[in-house]
Amino acid sequence: MKNIISALAIAAITFASCNSADKKNTDADVKVDSSATSMHTDIVQSQSESPIHGILTGYLQVKNALTNDNGNDAADGGKAISEAMAKLDKSSLSAAQAKAYNAVADDLKENAEHINENSGKIDHQREHFEMLSQDMYDLVKSFDKTQTLYKDFCPMANDKKGAFWISETKEIKNPYLGKKMPTCGEVKEEIK
Amino acid sequence: MKLFKKILLALLIVFIIIQFIRPAHNLSEQVLPTDIAKIYAVPDSVLHLLNIACYDCHSDNTRYPYYAYVQPGAWIMARHVRHGKADLNFSEFGTYSIRKQQSKLKAIVSQIKDDEMPLTSYKLMHADARLSNEEKDLIMNWATATKNNFQNK
Repeated sequence: MKNIISALAIAAITFASCNSADKKNTDADVKVDSSATSMHTDIVQSQSESPIHGILTGYLQVKNALTNDNGNDAADGGKAISEAMAKLDKSSLSAAQAKAYNAVADDLKENAEHINENSGKIDHQREHFEMLSQDMYDLVKSFDKTQTLYKDFCPMANDKKGAFWISETKEIKNPYLGKKMPTCGEVKEEIK
Repeated sequence: MKLFKKILLALLIVFIIIQFIRPAHNLSEQVLPTDIAKIYAVPDSVLHLLNIACYDCHSDNTRYPYYAYVQPGAWIMARHVRHGKADLNFSEFGTYSIRKQQSKLKAIVSQIKDDEMPLTSYKLMHADARLSNEEKDLIMNWATATKNNFQNK
């Protein structure tokens, strides 16, 4: 009986120490994780120096979703734009920036909302994306550039009247025609 | 049968009561300085079409038909008008930014071209809002010309 109890005791101690070793490991993992997160936040913050960063991110999400004919993702991007607009601190803008922003704000908001509400109607989303792109172009031109952007133009889009869009990559991926004609268009301007 | 009569009576009472809950009418006495006809040239022919096919829901003045005085007709109508005005109000067109005005003119063209507007339910009740192709062209050409005018400025 005594033997059994001591065996159990040893087992329990070993088990507990193993456990605590495991715990240490997990603690260390957590530490690594948290430092990774804080680094990540730093990166995000340095990128978001531009007050319109959130709006641009939402716009590019819409653009990339439309190149893949994905109305649902485009809708999410529209929502991201609305949310970024709500968060934007207007008092941080210079007079010139505020002027550029106010000139397009109501239009930008409405186009973003329409794109958000019409996930099942991609043609309608694209119509609003054409107007949204004009707003976005005016914005990125008036704000400090944190990344190189490209103004692309496709003469086939918008009922063959032609339309442009803003892209973060030099490679052409057409958001108006999507997978039907992904490479229609050319870079018209490099916005640096 | 007795139960059936009771239910009928209850419904009748509800129907009478709801008649007293009336939404405010969308009627403005004055033409605002922001009205589209005050800021841009709108030919009479186009203005007439806007009046009969669009203004009931997209302006500060709705023409109320008889069924708008019986509930729940007026409620449904008030809702349509509220949503319509939120999307586009010709009476307040001048309050929009130039960019938004351009977008609206473009949207007018595409909505009419795609037969999205006027709404089917509206056309059902308003025979004069069923626009002929010539009438549609008239509105679309005017909206396009007005929009192009901005860009040349």
